[in-house]
Amino acid sequence: MNPLLLLFLLLPVAFLSGWWSARRAGVQRSAVRRDDLSSSYFRGLNYLLNEQPDKAIEEFLKLAEANRDTLETHLALGNLFRRRGEVDRAIRVHQHLIARPNLGEDLKTMALLELGEDYMRAGLLDRAETLFADLVAMNAQAPSALRHLIAICQHERDWHKAILYARRLEETSGEPQSLQIAHFYCELAERAHAHGALQEAEEHLGQAFAARPGFVRAWMLRGRFAAMASDPAAAISAYEQALEADLDYVPEILPALLDAYARAQQMARAEQVLGSIVARYEGVSPVLALARIYARRDGHTRAVGFLSGQLRQRPSVRGLVQLMDTTLEGAGDVEANLRLLRDLTAALLEGQALYRCTHCGFGARAHHWQCPSCKNWSSLRPVHGATGA
Amino acid sequence: MRFLIAAVLLLFALLGAAFAALNGGSVHYDFLLAQPDLPKGVTLLAVLVLGWLLGGLSAWLGRGLSRVGGRNRRRDGNGPA
Repeated sequence: MNPLLLLFLLLPVAFLSGWWSARRAGVQRSAVRRDDLSSSYFRGLNYLLNEQPDKAIEEFLKLAEANRDTLETHLALGNLFRRRGEVDRAIRVHQHLIARPNLGEDLKTMALLELGEDYMRAGLLDRAETLFADLVAMNAQAPSALRHLIAICQHERDWHKAILYARRLEETSGEPQSLQIAHFYCELAERAHAHGALQEAEEHLGQAFAARPGFVRAWMLRGRFAAMASDPAAAISAYEQALEADLDYVPEILPALLDAYARAQQMARAEQVLGSIVARYEGVSPVLALARIYARRDGHTRAVGFLSGQLRQRPSVRGLVQLMDTTLEGAGDVEANLRLLRDLTAALLEGQALYRCTHCGFGARAHHWQCPSCKNWSSLRPVHGATGA
Repeated sequence: MRFLIAAVLLLFALLGAAFAALNGGSVHYDFLLAQPDLPKGVTLLAVLVLGWLLGGLSAWLGRGLSRVGGRNRRRDGNGPA
């Protein structure tokens, strides 16, 4: 072989030997460091397991100073303490992290957010509020900080501030907050009305409608305020709008609405509105109200006939009680009524669990020695009470 | 082990010195900006040392880059904790 070629081969050999020796030295160095870290970790863990959390924190904090990679672990440790209710320890961990000079901006804001949550958990709401407000001002972790600020304002019932923060959250995160904002205005309206500021209350209701058009709570409040002001016509109008806005609140709206109808002597309109609700609403409340109107106007036979017809379609315990009351008041065909009551009771019992797992709460019609849900043995026991075995 | 490594290093140093002494004649180089006359053996040894250093530097940079990548992955939650 040409000796000159051998000389040229010396260059890659030198490069490779340099590469290999540097790599080897690096591996040895990191192994030494890892040994140090793991011994510190095990010492900390040992303290934790021996119920010496203060010493464990000291050990873990020393570790955090030595290695930036363990910062996330410390955030997690702080969260763990907070979840366990050891808020003072969580605060110590997070405060220590924030005090570190070489902490990156992202980790610092995260630690500040966690510290704010610690303060909230400890009931130090003013401190938490200051911290979160600073974070919002710095525009760091703003959505989370705003959510916490809203929670604090709700706790302190400071609805004006809550509205401001909710609007800011809507701007920064794009999440719709109209429902919350409308509720906050309703709270303000209730407070103003309680203090006799009727005009202010009405203004807040207007703001609630502006935040969320057709908001059911605002309609209900407007109806209540009108009824309190002895204006049954306005109350009826507001409550009917509330029913149109959300039919799920029928049980909440109906008593006040029926009262307003009675005061305005508009029972014909009441019957008409209830008839339309019965057709659209699956619950039993409008049926019971309509049956009461029938009983008063046409007598018990008509009411029992209507009630029994409706209860066959929508069996209900409250309906049964009213049916029994109406039957007792009006007597009538006892055997037919008893047969009807028997059928309704059977329909109510249908689908009710006779056995329930004492471990996971699973309900079953038939007995199983092993629970089909949690697989525990002999945990299914008979249900006692009104619908029990 | 250390004695063996020291002996090998000494042997290579002696070989290098002998090589430099045997190839004392100078060679003309043209680096565009400068045209020096340098001793043959010393130049060869210098180039070998430079290659060794470059190898070490590339290994060190490779380790640093992989460490930074691992840290980023952990922060994004894609890698092992």
